[in-house]
Amino acid sequence: MKQFITILRFELNSYFKNKIFVGITIFLMAAIAVVMFFPRFSGTGDNADGEPSEISDQGVMIIASEDLSGVQAVGDAFAAAFPGYEVRVVSEGVETVKESVVSGEAQCAFFLTGPTSYTYFVNNLSMYDTNTAIADELLLNIYRINAMTQGGLSAEEASGIMSAVMEHEIQSLGKDQMQNFFYTYIMIFALYMVILLYGQMVATNVATEKSSRAMELLITSAKPTSMMFGKVIASCLAGLIQLIAVFGSAFLFFNINRGYWEGNYIVESIFDMPLELLIYMLIFFILGFFIYAFMYGAIGSTASKLEDINTSVMPITIIFIVAFFVVIFSMTSGNIDNTAMLVCSYIPFTSPMAMFTRIAMSSVPFYEIIISIAILIVSVLGIGVLSAKIYRVGVLLYGTPPKLSAIIKAIKKA
Amino acid sequence: MRLELKNIEKSFGEKQVLKGISISAEGGRAFGLLGRNGAGKTTTIRILMDVFPPDCGEILMDGQPIDYNNIQIGYLPEERGLYPKKKIMDQLVYFATLKGMEKAGAVRAIGYWLGRLGMTEYADKRLDTLSKGNQQKIQLITALAHDPQIVILDEPFSGLDPVNAMLLKDVVKEEIEKGKIVLFSSHQMNYIEEFCDRIAILNGGNVVLHGDLREIKRNYVRDKLIVRSLQADKILKDTSFNTSASENGDIVVYLASPERKQDIMEELTGKYDIDEIKVYEPSLNDIFVEYAGGGV
Repeated sequence: MKQFITILRFELNSYFKNKIFVGITIFLMAAIAVVMFFPRFSGTGDNADGEPSEISDQGVMIIASEDLSGVQAVGDAFAAAFPGYEVRVVSEGVETVKESVVSGEAQCAFFLTGPTSYTYFVNNLSMYDTNTAIADELLLNIYRINAMTQGGLSAEEASGIMSAVMEHEIQSLGKDQMQNFFYTYIMIFALYMVILLYGQMVATNVATEKSSRAMELLITSAKPTSMMFGKVIASCLAGLIQLIAVFGSAFLFFNINRGYWEGNYIVESIFDMPLELLIYMLIFFILGFFIYAFMYGAIGSTASKLEDINTSVMPITIIFIVAFFVVIFSMTSGNIDNTAMLVCSYIPFTSPMAMFTRIAMSSVPFYEIIISIAILIVSVLGIGVLSAKIYRVGVLLYGTPPKLSAIIKAIKKA
Repeated sequence: MRLELKNIEKSFGEKQVLKGISISAEGGRAFGLLGRNGAGKTTTIRILMDVFPPDCGEILMDGQPIDYNNIQIGYLPEERGLYPKKKIMDQLVYFATLKGMEKAGAVRAIGYWLGRLGMTEYADKRLDTLSKGNQQKIQLITALAHDPQIVILDEPFSGLDPVNAMLLKDVVKEEIEKGKIVLFSSHQMNYIEEFCDRIAILNGGNVVLHGDLREIKRNYVRDKLIVRSLQADKILKDTSFNTSASENGDIVVYLASPERKQDIMEELTGKYDIDEIKVYEPSLNDIFVEYAGGGV
């Protein structure tokens, strides 16, 4: 036990003294900070605390018509709908109106040619110019209200009809897949990246010790089980700490800037993840991490040279990538509980991602979750012991990486 | 302190590497484990260090099965290597704590050994900035820092310059004087002859020779004389003696029986101008070639 803690501390220290590890973590945190602070400094996004923004440069908007009758009412409606503009109602010819826009005296002008038609004059039409859409709505309303009042309704009744709003409410009785999609996706992707990266790191780490022959001394100084578990748990902790640093800073920066993100449905849904799901995430992350890191460690121990690692770990990586794609396709297909996912959520190599996704995006009975986790825990222990055995045999073998059958034979002997 | 390996057997797959190794070594004396490449030395050492268990046989310390919780072993492997990219002090402390030392004690012991080997200035350097010989001295510290009862040195002198070799000799002598069991494995026979009282020669997984080196030498039939003389040519032509020339210019005189030694010596010294005359004793090198040479 003491040996195990010595190894754990040494390995963990190696991660924290590794400039690349620290650098990537800080870089990710900085990148997230930039994203999270972006709306605060760029001025886009919705207003902080819902206060109406002050628009200082009051441009002039001209509402013109050759015939002034009824235009004043239109002008009032425009003034209310465009608070950013100083609305002027004039009775001038087309050419005069054009002139005042070209000269810059007015930013834009609506030249009304009839109750349901107008010409919009503007110097440079911006991509985001929504003035005509608003004007259409306004004019159409005025036209309809006029028509209704002429038909005998009072002005109040008419505008009451016009402003009637349909109320609706959505009640998802299971999970809201729309809302869960984004954070499930992010979590699955984080799981995928961390396991793949750290798994490879464990394999490389073991192979480096072997190729530098530090193994000769290590194997005579410490028990293989302590070495294997020390390494894997150290890398798991390093991975967790990195994840917590990255997600924790994202959460912190989001809360600092929460007001600026209001109304951004995706981002808000990500940060409103239920705590329960976070705990499941942690369970599946740790178990999934262990199962793969043990295998990567065992594979690393059979390689004599670092170059051998990439080919040796291929089968494991492929299993993992396949699992990842099954999950991602199922997520986007909309049918989370399909047969593939049901099967995958009990196979220990795929269940960390598959079961987590099902929990997040669908309604899984509690006993199914328990069964899946139980299978996973048993497999982690089994694979941990097995990989320590492979490790014990593997580290002393040099030359070409042994065949699987040869390793199994050697384990049976040992 | 007495270490005994009794009838150790070990197979890897179909291949039987050790076919019943029995050797014994004592505290305060150095033991030489010899054998050609592939004879089973490293496997024997690994079994002794509990890297893997033997198929059968036992390891005894003072007659009791060895208890690895109480008996510390220091090992300098033939394949050297530590962490190239890590600070020397850090990794030495790591290895010492793995062997059960407390951190403060480890730092103190390593400080002593760095000083003893003249390496103090390198404590905060990365290992791969050191020369091969200096790296080897660092590796030696991993074998000695935790003050083990058994010290196993596999080819300790290879790669050391004569000054460092002297330093290492002194260190090894100190360890022997402290009463430790020192196990040597080397192909440099002169070092084995210098240190080891007892030897074992392995060949093909068997112990082919085991015992006190001086006795082994004395048990050789003393029926040859080595003669050095300026009149070598004349002696070789003298048909009253059965002679042959050796490579270094000495003359080998064969005796009909060991009892004839005194007569022949007197006859030779009476007839010729003799610089030196002695009974031939085989060197360890000769013994090694004789016992380890055949059939691996």
